[in-house]
Amino acid sequence: MARLYIFAIGGTGSRVLKSLTMLLASGVKPNSDKNFEIVPIIIDPHKSNEDLKRTERLLGNYQTISNEAGLDNGFFSTKITTLDRLTTSQNRLSGSFTFNLQEVGGRKFSEYIGLSQLDKPNKALADILFSGKSINKRHEEVNLLDVEMDIGFVGNPNIGSIVLNQVKDSQEFKDFASNFNEDDRVFIISSIFGGTGAAGFPTILKNIRDAMNNRNIDGKGFLQDAKIGAVTVLPYFNIEKDSDSPIQKSDFIAKTKAALYYYKDNVTGNNSINSLYYIADNYSGKPYKNDPGDNGQKNDAHFVEMASALAIIDFLETPDSDLETSEGKALKPIYKEFGIRKDSSNIKFSDLEDYTERKIAMRLSQLVLFRKYLTEHLSNAIEKEAWSNDSPEINKKFIDDTFYRTNLSEFLSSFADWLKEMSDNKRGFSPFNLDSTIEALIEGRSVKSGWFSSKVDFSSMDNKLSKEGKGKTYSSASQKLIKLFYDTTEEILTSKFGLKN
Amino acid sequence: MEEFFASLYEWFGLNPLYSTDMGDHLRGWMCIDQSGYFGTNWYIMIGWSMIAITAFFYALQYHIIDDSRFNKKHHWWVMALIIIVLNFLLAFLIPFNTVQSGDFCSELNLTVADCIGFGLSNAVWSFVLFLLITSFKYPRHLGTNTRFTTFWKP
Repeated sequence: MARLYIFAIGGTGSRVLKSLTMLLASGVKPNSDKNFEIVPIIIDPHKSNEDLKRTERLLGNYQTISNEAGLDNGFFSTKITTLDRLTTSQNRLSGSFTFNLQEVGGRKFSEYIGLSQLDKPNKALADILFSGKSINKRHEEVNLLDVEMDIGFVGNPNIGSIVLNQVKDSQEFKDFASNFNEDDRVFIISSIFGGTGAAGFPTILKNIRDAMNNRNIDGKGFLQDAKIGAVTVLPYFNIEKDSDSPIQKSDFIAKTKAALYYYKDNVTGNNSINSLYYIADNYSGKPYKNDPGDNGQKNDAHFVEMASALAIIDFLETPDSDLETSEGKALKPIYKEFGIRKDSSNIKFSDLEDYTERKIAMRLSQLVLFRKYLTEHLSNAIEKEAWSNDSPEINKKFIDDTFYRTNLSEFLSSFADWLKEMSDNKRGFSPFNLDSTIEALIEGRSVKSGWFSSKVDFSSMDNKLSKEGKGKTYSSASQKLIKLFYDTTEEILTSKFGLKN
Repeated sequence: MEEFFASLYEWFGLNPLYSTDMGDHLRGWMCIDQSGYFGTNWYIMIGWSMIAITAFFYALQYHIIDDSRFNKKHHWWVMALIIIVLNFLLAFLIPFNTVQSGDFCSELNLTVADCIGFGLSNAVWSFVLFLLITSFKYPRHLGTNTRFTTFWKP
C-alpha cells in the first residue's frame, strides 16, 4: 500500500490534521483506485499546545479503533500509522505522531544558535537578522534572541526557519527517507501568517527536494522526485486585540504578504511543489483569545480547517500523471483554491459546492447518527435487540472494555466537540442539530414520508440494524459494531433523508 | 386426535379440573334415542382452535409485527396473556352456553365449575404450547427483531 506522509506544522497543522482524522473516521475517502496509508508527522516546538495534544490523543484512538476493528468497515477505514511502525532500525522512535524537536525546551533562541560563541561579525549579523522584540512565557517583553522556544516561535518565522532546519538531520527524517517509496506521496500542512508553519513549510519542502545533497539519508532519489502537495492556510480567523501580545491581527496580512513573496521564489517560482492549495477567509467573525502559546493555545475548530483537510483528499485523487516530477521540479504544478456556493455566516451542506457536499454530507451524517445512537440509545438496546444478541454479541462486557469505553467513546466525544466548535465559531459550520430528534438531525433535510414509510427513530434504527445484521458474519464484536452501523446509517440516510454518495 | 386432546385436557386422568360428565359431554355423549358418543366432539374442535389461536398470535408477534418496539420479555407475557384469556374464554363459553341452554344429555350433571375447569385446562395448554413454540430456536429465528424474544429474555 502506498503511503501519504503528512507533515503537520504548528497549531494550524495539528488542527487541520484533526479535521482530516474526523473525515477519515467518518469514511470520507479519495475517489481513487489507490489506497493510501497515512503517516502523520506533527512538527510543533510548542509541546504543551492543547491543539497538538488533542490531535495526538485523537490519532491514538483512531489507530486503536482501526487496528481492532479492521479497515473494511466504512468508518475508520483508512490506515493511520506512526513513523516508528514503519521502521525496524535500532534507533526506533517512540510510537508518537509528534516530531521530537531537539534542544528547544526551556532554551532561548540565542542559546540554540550559540550566540555567545560567535565571533564579532557573525554576532553582529545575528543581531541584524533577529532584531526586534517578542514576549516570553511570563508575558515579559524580551529581545527576539531571548525568546524561549518551548511556546513556539510566537509568530517569528525567521527563528522557526533556523530551528526547523534540524529536521533534515533527525532520526525521524532518516526513517521517513529510508521508508519512502516511489508511489508514496508527501503533504505539508501549514499556516502562512504565524511563525512555525510559515517557516516550516518551505524548510521541509527544501529538505525533501534537496535530499540528494543529504549524506545522512537513504532513498534520496525517490524523495527528490516525490509527489508533494501542500495546503498553505492564509488568515482565516479573527483574534482579540491585546497590545501586550506579539500576535496582532493587523500583522497577519503583512506576514502573509512577506511569506508569499518568499514562496514566489522558493516554492512556487521554482516549481518545487506539485500541488499547492490556498485557503483563506476574510470573514471577520468571533475573535479567538489572544494566546501566543503560554496558556496552551486551544482554538475552536473552524470550517477552514476542515476544508483544508479536504485538500488532502483532493491531492490523493490527483492522478500520478499530473504529479510528475523531474530532478526535483514539478512538471505540471497545480494551484488550487477552495470556494463555497453561498457566502453564509453559518454554513450548511446546501451552501457547499456539489463536489464538497457529495464528499462529506453522507459520511459525516453517518458518523453523527452513529454517535447519537451510541450515546443516547445503546444502553437501552444492549442485550435486548436482536442485532446486539447476534454473535458476536455486543453486550455489557463489550461496552465495559477499553475499546468501547475509552477509544471509541473518547473519539466520538471529540468528534461531537469538533462539530460543536465549528458550529459555534464564526464563520460557523453547522449542518447538524446534534441535540434534536433523528428526523431533524440534518439541517435542511426532511425525512421522506408517505403512507407506508415509518418515521425514523431509535426503534426504527434497531429494526434496520437487526435486519442488516441478520445472517452476516463478523470477525469480532468491535468489527461488527463499526461495520453494522456504517451499513445501516448509510441505508437510513439514503432511503429516508435522500443523501447520496 | 380425539384421545390425544382428551388426554391432555383430562391431564392423563391424573387430576382433571372438571367432572367425568363434562368429559363425556366434550367427547360428544348423546342420549336422545340411544346413548353413545354421537354428538359434536368438542375436544377436537376446541383443541385445534387452541392450536390455531396460539399459532396465530405467535405469528403475529414474531413474524407480522416483528418490531423492536414489541420484542421484550414483557411483550411476550402480554401476548401470552392474550392467548390464555382467549383460550380460556373459548373453552369456557362453549360448554357454559350449553349448560345455560340445557342442550345436553339429561343423564349428565354439568356445572359452571366444570366449564371453568375446562376453560382453565385449555388456557394452561395454550400457554404451554406458546412457551414451547417460542423456546426453540426455530421457527423463532426466522423473524428479525423478535428472534431472541422468549418468556425470560430480553
